[in-house]
This record gives sequence, C-alpha cells and structure tokens, in this order.
Amino acid sequence: MRCAQTTTLRLLATVLRPTEGTAVVAGHDIVRDPALVRSKIGFLSGDMGLYGRLTPREILTFFGRLGGMRPAALKSRVAELIEMLGMQSYADTRADKLSTGMRQRAAIGRTIVHDPPVLILDEPSYGLDVPTARLIENFILEARNQGKCIVFSTHVMEEAEYLCDRIVVVHEGKVRATGTMDELRAATGKTRLREIFLDLLGFADLRKEATA
Amino acid sequence: MKPAAVFTMWRKEMLEMVRDRRTLISMVVAPILAIPVLLGVVNFFTSSGQKQAEQEAMTVAVGGPLAMPGLEQALAAAGFKLTHAADPRAAVEQKKAAAAVVEARSEKGEPVVRLLVDASRQGSRVSADKLAVVLDGVKSRMVREALAGSGVPAGVLQPFSVERVDVAPRGKMAKTVMGGVIGYIVILLMFSGCMYPAIDMTAGEKERRTLEILLSSPAGRNEIVLGKILAASTASFLTALLNVLSLAYSFRSGLMGPEATRLLAVVKLDPKTVSLVLVAVAPTAITAAAVMITISLFAKSFKEGQSYLTPLIMLVVFPAIMGMLPGVEGDPRLMMLPVFNVSQLIKSIFNGEYTAASFLLPFASNLFYAGVAFFFAVRIFKREDVLFRS
Repeated sequence: MRCAQTTTLRLLATVLRPTEGTAVVAGHDIVRDPALVRSKIGFLSGDMGLYGRLTPREILTFFGRLGGMRPAALKSRVAELIEMLGMQSYADTRADKLSTGMRQRAAIGRTIVHDPPVLILDEPSYGLDVPTARLIENFILEARNQGKCIVFSTHVMEEAEYLCDRIVVVHEGKVRATGTMDELRAATGKTRLREIFLDLLGFADLRKEATA
Repeated sequence: MKPAAVFTMWRKEMLEMVRDRRTLISMVVAPILAIPVLLGVVNFFTSSGQKQAEQEAMTVAVGGPLAMPGLEQALAAAGFKLTHAADPRAAVEQKKAAAAVVEARSEKGEPVVRLLVDASRQGSRVSADKLAVVLDGVKSRMVREALAGSGVPAGVLQPFSVERVDVAPRGKMAKTVMGGVIGYIVILLMFSGCMYPAIDMTAGEKERRTLEILLSSPAGRNEIVLGKILAASTASFLTALLNVLSLAYSFRSGLMGPEATRLLAVVKLDPKTVSLVLVAVAPTAITAAAVMITISLFAKSFKEGQSYLTPLIMLVVFPAIMGMLPGVEGDPRLMMLPVFNVSQLIKSIFNGEYTAASFLLPFASNLFYAGVAFFFAVRIFKREDVLFRS
C-alpha cells in the first residue's frame, strides 16, 4: 500500500474491500453493490494505466464495452472524445509510442468514456510536467462544471486550493480537518493551503519565528 | 456474470497477444517450426551417418595382392574396395580402412586369413561381419571344388541351414518412439505457448499498473479472470493446432526428406486423427492456462513471473518424457496422471491404437483437472493480498 489516501480511493473504487465499515458512492453501497458502484465511477491514477500495445481508440472502446455501452453509441462516443481531447493525429498509434501528454489525454478519455457521474482521481498529476498537469486541471474543472462529483488526492497544495470545493487534510492516516477553503482559513488564521496544512500538522511558522 | 464482458476481455487479451513479439514466437513460430526442424535434424543425421558408415565399411586394407585364388574377386564382387597399405594394422587404427585382410600361416603351416577389426567402431564391426560372410562363401566354394569328383554328396557340407526371423512387427519401434516424441512436443509447446500470455495478463498488468484500472471498471472479477483464462487457453490450444497442422503438412508434402517420411509413415495423420488429437488436448490447454495464470498472479513483475513458470515447464518435461518410454502403457492409474496421460493419449491416437475407454479415461480426468485449475484461478484472482502484493 502506498498511503492512506490511495487505500481510501481504492476502497471507494471497489478495487479493495474494506475490512470494516462501508461507504456510499452515487447512492450505492461499496460493500453490497460494488458492481453498481463501478458502473458509476471513472478511476484515474498518476500511472495512467494504459495498455501499451493498444491504441487510444482501442483502449477507449475496450473500457466502453466493459461499461456495457452499445456498439453504435460507443463508436460515436469514442470519436467525440478523440476530437474533444485533440487526439485525432494519434488515436490509432500504439500507446507505448506516445508522449506523456498524449498518454495522459488518452487516460482521461478512458476515465470518462462511459460518462460516469463520479470521478476518483489518485494523484492524477503526479510526476507530470506543468503543461501536462494543466491538462488534468482543465479536465477536472470541466468535469466539475458538468456537475460531476470528483474525489481526488494530491500532494500539490496549490492544485487543491485552486480546484477544490471541499478539502480534507489527511496526515498519517488521520483526518486533520475538513471544510471549504474559507472554513479552513477561519479555523487556522492562515491564507494559503500550504500554511494551513503545516499549521494543522503542528509545524511552527518559520517566517513568523524569524521576524519575532 | 455477463458473457459479453467475458468476450470483451478475451478479445482485448487476444489483441495484446498478437501484438507481442515474444508471444508470437512461442505461440506461432515455435509450433510451426518445431517438428519440421526436428525431423530435418533426424533426417540429416540418419542419412548422412548411415552413408558414412556404409562407405567406411566397404574399404578394406590389404598388405599386397592376395595370394588365395579367387579371394580378391569375391571381395570385389561383394562391393569391397581394397586399398593397399604397407601396414594394414595401422590403416585400421587410423581409420583409413574399416578392417584389414591379412594372409598368414598358422604354427602348423596351415593358411590363415586374419581379419583386423577395431571393435570400438560400428563401421569396422559391420565390415568384419560382411567380410566373414564373403570368406565363408569362398571357403565353401573351395571345399565344393575339392570334393567334386570324390563322390561325396554336396549336402554333407551343409546338413542344415540357419534362418533368422525378426518377430517385431514392422515399424513398431518407430511407432512407439515417433508417437511419443510428437505427443511430448505437442504438450511441451502447449505449456510454453501460453506461458508468456499468462504472465503478461497477470504480472504484466500489475507491473504496468493497468490491473487497478481494470478492477475499477464495470467488469466483475469473475468476468475479468474468465476472459483471461479463456485467452490463455486459446493461446495454448492454438499452439497445439499449429503444431499438429505443421506436422501433417510436413508429412504430406514430403518436405523433410525420405528418412523422416519413412519414420512418419507409421503415424496416422488423416483429418480424423488430427481432430481427435485436438479434442484430446483441449482440457490440457485450459489446465495449462489456469495453472499458469494462478501462479503468475503471485508475481509482481513479468520477470518474476517468468522465474516462477520456468520450473513448471521443467516439471512438465518429466511426465511427458515418461510417456515416450515404451512399456508404460496400460496402467489405468497412470492414465489419470495429468500431462503423462495426455501425451500417452496423443501417442495412441497417432498410432491408431486407442479405444473408447482408453480415450475417455484420460480425457475425463483431464477435464476434471481443468475444472479444478479453473476454480483455483478464479479464487486466487479474488484475493486482494495476491493482487496487491507488495
């Protein structure tokens, strides 16, 4: 296991079964109805999880089929996503021959091919350069504007501050604080999420100490 | 359980397989080439070895012109080539001649024809045997000539004759060996044919971090693992199919030269035999696939999977080789031993010696093993500690 966040997201995605307790995703219990939960979610991690020997079009089609989409609807949905994500020039090139940015677009397409109402993203921008990470940010904002529920984990505080409506600060497997940015600011008296985070973890503000 | 999802999984695995060079080599190239290459090698060595031995066996060294009347002519008539050598013994030792004929006198002054043989060499022994026959002929002719006119009937010379009859049915040995070798190759290739696909779709998916994504997709665990087992079984079965078709083709086309064609002539290769063999190996294809998927599921990387499965292939070699040995047929308990029984079954089908009972017992037991292996693969695939081993 990598860390508590990954485990939590894997539990929500029904990849792992909780040893105790449960959660409800899109109205379905993750322990009782994992299959229903899976049909309502799109899962994406920083590794992207693309089949190198398949092309983006084949990968999208494969996951769409697993989602039970009808052939005609799936075909037009895949074409639509390829256009939307600007993948026309490499939609039929094997994924292992693509650049990181291209692969990330294909991974986004794969995540949303069956149009899930819930997106679970595990450090989706981990290890990406800034322009490629920007791609992910845009994707998240667009999905939010479409009314999708997005749960994502990140170590980049700016990303959370910029994208999230509600933030949960987790440290060493424990929830330290929950709320909107404004609520967190009020609770700690700090402005930036980075400072709020450090404050919640009990780190002293080095700058203040230096001036005092 | 949605059959459509199983089919979707199977299709994706097949697509990945045909785009993987390693898999293509073990699944397509190896089974097509294995038997022609084996037969080609057999053909080359048997024909060239035989020719060489024959050629060598016909060269005989002599110290000088043979004094015994008619001896040189008799040797030449039998096809021997006489070479003159100052030291006939050295000629044999140095392999310049297969044997040597030296005329001498015994202590009592009687004529002796001495054969110099190197018994450690097959060519030399063959040569000496043939020389003895020729010398025998010369000896009886001389006796016959001496007796002519003395009034003694010629029958005195040979009160009875000796006939040697080979009771082994024609080609039985070749049948046992060829059927066994072919059965063994088919089984071995079936296991190696699905090894790479099995590792790729389990440990490979873990290593490339696609497994997690797959598990979070709407497909259920049963559907995923079923699709994977079926795809690996397809790979294994395809290997057997290509292997048997290549065998039938090499046989019919006479591609492999006369020696191999002669060896194969004892093996039945009509469409019915080929289809029966394919039916016989089908449960083994599923067993091989399910066992290999189960084992490689424990591996975290392709390399680790390879090191788990290579010993398994070695293990398969033992019962398969046992099946090649003559005289192990017939024990019903042995016919339930996996791998061994199917290699025996293939042998008996090729030889046309199977019965309904001898087909059904191994087939049913292999079907049972396939079911057990399948069940285990599905069970293991649902274990998180195996899927997310770290």
